Amino acid sequence: MAMLTNRRKEVAVAASLVAPFVLIFALVFLYPTIRLVQLSFTDSPLIGAGNWIGLDNFKRLLSDRLFLTSLKNNGYFILLTVIPTTALALGIALMVTRLRGKLQALALAIFFLPYILPVPVVTHIWTWMLDFQFGVLQPVITFFTGKPVAVFKNPYWVMPAIAAVTIWWTNGFNVLLFIAGLRNIPRDYYEAAQLDGATRWQLFARVTWPLLWPVTALVLTLQLILQLKLFDQVYLLSSGGPFNSSYVLLLMVYREAFQLNHGGYASAIALVLFVIIAALSVLQFQLLRVGGRR
Amino acid sequence: MGVTLTNVSKSFGPVGVVHDVSLDIPTGDFAVFVGPSGCGKSTLLRMIAGLEDTTAGTISIEGRDVTDVEPAKREVAMVFQSYALYPHLTVFENMGFSLSLKKTPKSRIKDMVHEAARILHLEEHLDKRPSQLSGGQRQRVAIGRAIVRQPKVFLFDEPLSNLDAELRVQMRLELARLHKQIGATMIYVTHDQVEAMTLADRIFVLKNGKLQQAGKPLELYDNPGNQFVGGFIGSPAMNFLPGRALGRQDGLLRIGLESLDAHLLAKVATELSEGTSVKVGLRPEHLRPVEGGFNASVEMEEDLGGVSYLHARLADGRMIVVETRGRRESLDGRTVSLGADPGDVLVFAEDGGRLR
Repeated sequence: MAMLTNRRKEVAVAASLVAPFVLIFALVFLYPTIRLVQLSFTDSPLIGAGNWIGLDNFKRLLSDRLFLTSLKNNGYFILLTVIPTTALALGIALMVTRLRGKLQALALAIFFLPYILPVPVVTHIWTWMLDFQFGVLQPVITFFTGKPVAVFKNPYWVMPAIAAVTIWWTNGFNVLLFIAGLRNIPRDYYEAAQLDGATRWQLFARVTWPLLWPVTALVLTLQLILQLKLFDQVYLLSSGGPFNSSYVLLLMVYREAFQLNHGGYASAIALVLFVIIAALSVLQFQLLRVGGRR
Repeated sequence: MGVTLTNVSKSFGPVGVVHDVSLDIPTGDFAVFVGPSGCGKSTLLRMIAGLEDTTAGTISIEGRDVTDVEPAKREVAMVFQSYALYPHLTVFENMGFSLSLKKTPKSRIKDMVHEAARILHLEEHLDKRPSQLSGGQRQRVAIGRAIVRQPKVFLFDEPLSNLDAELRVQMRLELARLHKQIGATMIYVTHDQVEAMTLADRIFVLKNGKLQQAGKPLELYDNPGNQFVGGFIGSPAMNFLPGRALGRQDGLLRIGLESLDAHLLAKVATELSEGTSVKVGLRPEHLRPVEGGFNASVEMEEDLGGVSYLHARLADGRMIVVETRGRRESLDGRTVSLGADPGDVLVFAEDGGRLR
């Protein structure tokens, strides 16, 4: 009996501790999500009632050129950012960990600095740096292409440029994750390998890389989720142009919901994005975990 | 031959860790570096391995000067305190790691790993990961990884300190057996003097980065070169009492134990002027009840069956340990008069040096 009451007491305590979170979660996440799913089957405006139209919104999506362009651009952006930023962060982390003491802290601070800047500041900095007439980076571009390029107004340059800005902005956090991962690898492993005659490359390939794989999988997955949610940088740097060549799904959600007052249609797009993110990230994480286990 | 260190020193910046150590370990010997923590024994081992560079002096292995040779080319293998087994590799892969780095043919790796696994009774564990093994098994895998390399010298850095007491005793025996079987030179670092006494052909006692004494275990026990070695080797530890030289009596040195109002005779040839302060070292097993010795009141008894240890308080408040054998009646609370044979009384100068 005593066991039973104890158990009941424990459950009560646990429930009361979890309750605040569950309530807030239900209020600000679960309820809006359910409403979003409901909305996506209606033709309602952003505020106010609408009619149930079944799967019409989703059928319309399939023939919406802007949706397909946006989807493609989102995919292109993923290719441009996820793996490159992970590789870059790993490289930087490997270099930073070789530094000692204050120098290491300084290097880390420098790489982390962009991450604490708000997006408008980031985009402002880069708009200046890449300004067609006065940008300090235009001579570099001229060196490679022979002429200055208005990167955010050029359909071929705009996505890579936004990708570069995004990597510059968010890379510090990934570096931090990798450094934490690297610090978790005991020094004995390296010394043992060194005694066994491992070359520097073998140390990396046989010790560091496999032991860092869980962190790498985490960084890749976090990046995938983050970069699929691309909005701010595009909105501030190119507004989706030129010729919709940097239009992405969230920009479309914004346009449909807040500029055109198509609450139902916007919800359908958002729901598709939600499903894509959930499916891809789960799939990726599972694949990476299996890959890590060999 | 074997391993020779000549005037080896090591400092980290301004901090000296090892000071002018010279020692010689013959090929095939089991050498133990022992000392309290921070005495530089691990640093010395890591210098032999090449994981720390040598500030001054030379290290040679089998007659070859390896002072500036990189670790992998020294033909030494090291077993780490943490075992340093790679969690992402199987036992087989861990043991064959060094060979696979050198692109050794698969069949040869297999032969060598299986041979090492046979010696260490690890055959049925080869496909497991280190995380699936017990502490003792992990320890054996770490040793196996060293064996596979067929090094000239095995280095062990406190390899048993992560095991529980029972397993430690068992692994100690296995290491001794392994040494007999392989016959390679082994250098073993520990702070546990029991491990040192039981395993070593030759013990090197270190303190504050300086070599205090080197010798066979019983040599160090019977004939410590200074007060530190006397106190460090042996368990329970040697008792030390302050005394004063009082001149000669029948060719023996008469030492007054002032605070105890008693005296002892010691077999010491060194001439000491009367009144010189000395430290008297008495091993617990050398103390025995005598007429007219110094008094000690027993405060606690530890009976281990064959042996008992009496913890007794002296007149000046000092505690000493006395070993008795085959005793069956309790002495708790009683006062006994203690003394020792002149040949068993060790005398040290004020600075800790041994007076013979």
